[in-house]
Amino acid sequence: MNRTNKNIISTSGLIKTYRRYKKPEGMRGSIASLFHREYEEKTAVNRIDLAVQAGEFVGLIGPNGAGKTTLIKMLTGIIAPTAGAIDVLGYYPNDLKNAFKKQYAVVMGQKSQLFFELTVNDTLRLFKEIYEISEDVFQENKNYFVHLFGVADLMDVQVRTLSLGERMKMELIVALLHNPAILFLDEPTIGLDAIASRQIRSFLREINEKKGTTIILTSHYVEDIKTLCRRTVVVNHGVKIYDGATDELFERYQKNKRIIVAFDNPLGTVALKTGSAKLVVDEPYKKEYEVPRQNASGLLAELMGHEPKDITIEEEEIGIVVERIYQEGGGDCHA
Amino acid sequence: MRKYWEISKTYMKAQLVWRADVIFNMFFTISKILFAYLLWGIIFRDKELVGTFTFHGMLSYYIVSSFLSQLEMSEGISSEIHDRLRNGTFSKYLVIPAGIERYFMAMELGVVLFYLIFDFMAAAVWVFVFRIRFVFAGEWQVIACALVMTVLGMVFMVQLNYFLGILTLRFEGIGTFLMIKNNLVSLVTGSIVPLALFPEFVVSILRLLPFYYVTYLPAMLLTGKCGEEAVRGIVIIGGWCVLMQLVIRAAWKKYFTAYDGAGI
Repeated sequence: MNRTNKNIISTSGLIKTYRRYKKPEGMRGSIASLFHREYEEKTAVNRIDLAVQAGEFVGLIGPNGAGKTTLIKMLTGIIAPTAGAIDVLGYYPNDLKNAFKKQYAVVMGQKSQLFFELTVNDTLRLFKEIYEISEDVFQENKNYFVHLFGVADLMDVQVRTLSLGERMKMELIVALLHNPAILFLDEPTIGLDAIASRQIRSFLREINEKKGTTIILTSHYVEDIKTLCRRTVVVNHGVKIYDGATDELFERYQKNKRIIVAFDNPLGTVALKTGSAKLVVDEPYKKEYEVPRQNASGLLAELMGHEPKDITIEEEEIGIVVERIYQEGGGDCHA
Repeated sequence: MRKYWEISKTYMKAQLVWRADVIFNMFFTISKILFAYLLWGIIFRDKELVGTFTFHGMLSYYIVSSFLSQLEMSEGISSEIHDRLRNGTFSKYLVIPAGIERYFMAMELGVVLFYLIFDFMAAAVWVFVFRIRFVFAGEWQVIACALVMTVLGMVFMVQLNYFLGILTLRFEGIGTFLMIKNNLVSLVTGSIVPLALFPEFVVSILRLLPFYYVTYLPAMLLTGKCGEEAVRGIVIIGGWCVLMQLVIRAAWKKYFTAYDGAGI
């Protein structure tokens, strides 16, 4: 299956505003609010233009409250936009047409489609009927995903007894059973350990490459975005501040690395020759440095001279990257 | 239709997981009727008739009535919708290609069919053990009307609870609505004050409300009473179902698109 060169998602000037109730502090405020209520409007998504082609793997990042989940909710029809145009697979999502819903799937990290009392096989059987999947396609897809995810021995186990990582694999199988054209993923690796996260990433890559499924992924983890998405959209305060190549995004805005060094013997403050390295944590058995990427190798070489027990190198978090884009005025590099 | 039948089956399977629930449900069905047997036994000790009921007629009514009441479990629908909207998981129903109201109907059917089997077995055991001479309607037309009315009554209760659930989209909390509904149901079905104690004109008004036709009248019809109300009852409860469907459509259209989604 290969879906290319066609916009299957397009939004123009998309806006979503929420109205929320404001109450003055204390008992007096509570009583006063019985008679007079004040509301304020919050713009969760502000004039977002977005075009996604079939087969793309797009990362959607931003800090908490940036508007990522609201955007996904509008794209899947869960909520209606306040203003602007939206078209997903030729439908206005909030019409909630069954023909539209059969063509996408959504997996939200903290919301489940599984029946916790039943087994995964029971849930799959239900979804086969709900999505009107033929028996042949059902068996073929089920076997494919069960093999891909390596979960054959878990299919007849009660869902509530599965680990978080196993449950997320099952959520993905349920979501992918009907061969959706678009898969929306909202924080699929949240709370998972490194091994489970890596497995999920590997499955998603395979599904995107082999089945041609368009994937929109929101995540707080740099690793998810860097390893999976060729394109990244960054939103902050509801506004799109970057839309372009993921490599370029991190090349331009992920400027520092964090180097954590542990020692067997206590060590005083080390005088460094490497320029621009900033000591963030200074403890006898542990030092943490923030250093520009280009100087990281020099600092590492220098630290090796102090016989470290362990060295960890971390990338800057997404929040810092977003903050930097915001401060530097952002960019829209997507052609 | 297959998808909705599968939903019913899934909820039936979910009920079967908890063995203690199954056993206790059967136990309480039997114990409830046992208490009724003892109570009515005392009342009927010195009399042949209470109102128009004989001892066996009263027990028959009680068994049918409590059997139907136990099957009416749609209250869970309003709280399910309310809770999911409040905790942000209602989207589970929005993103699948199935009608949301029909999903809840199918879910209710699954639960009802499950309890129908076990409650029926419990009631049958009771009738056999205590050798009740079960008083049952003699005319098949009346029995058919009672069964149709029972189905329509349950459909109406699902619709009503679904409607109350989606009011969360507008009012965020629906506790007051549920309290009003529960009191109204208790009043109209005679569980607060026996209907016979009301003046005739009040009973006439109550007969226009749907709740009268949910358990009370079907139970009376099945035990051979109020036969003259059968057809009129079906028309009234059918009318309420149509009306409620129109109200649901209007409410969904108005509140869903305007909902800001903070809870879903």
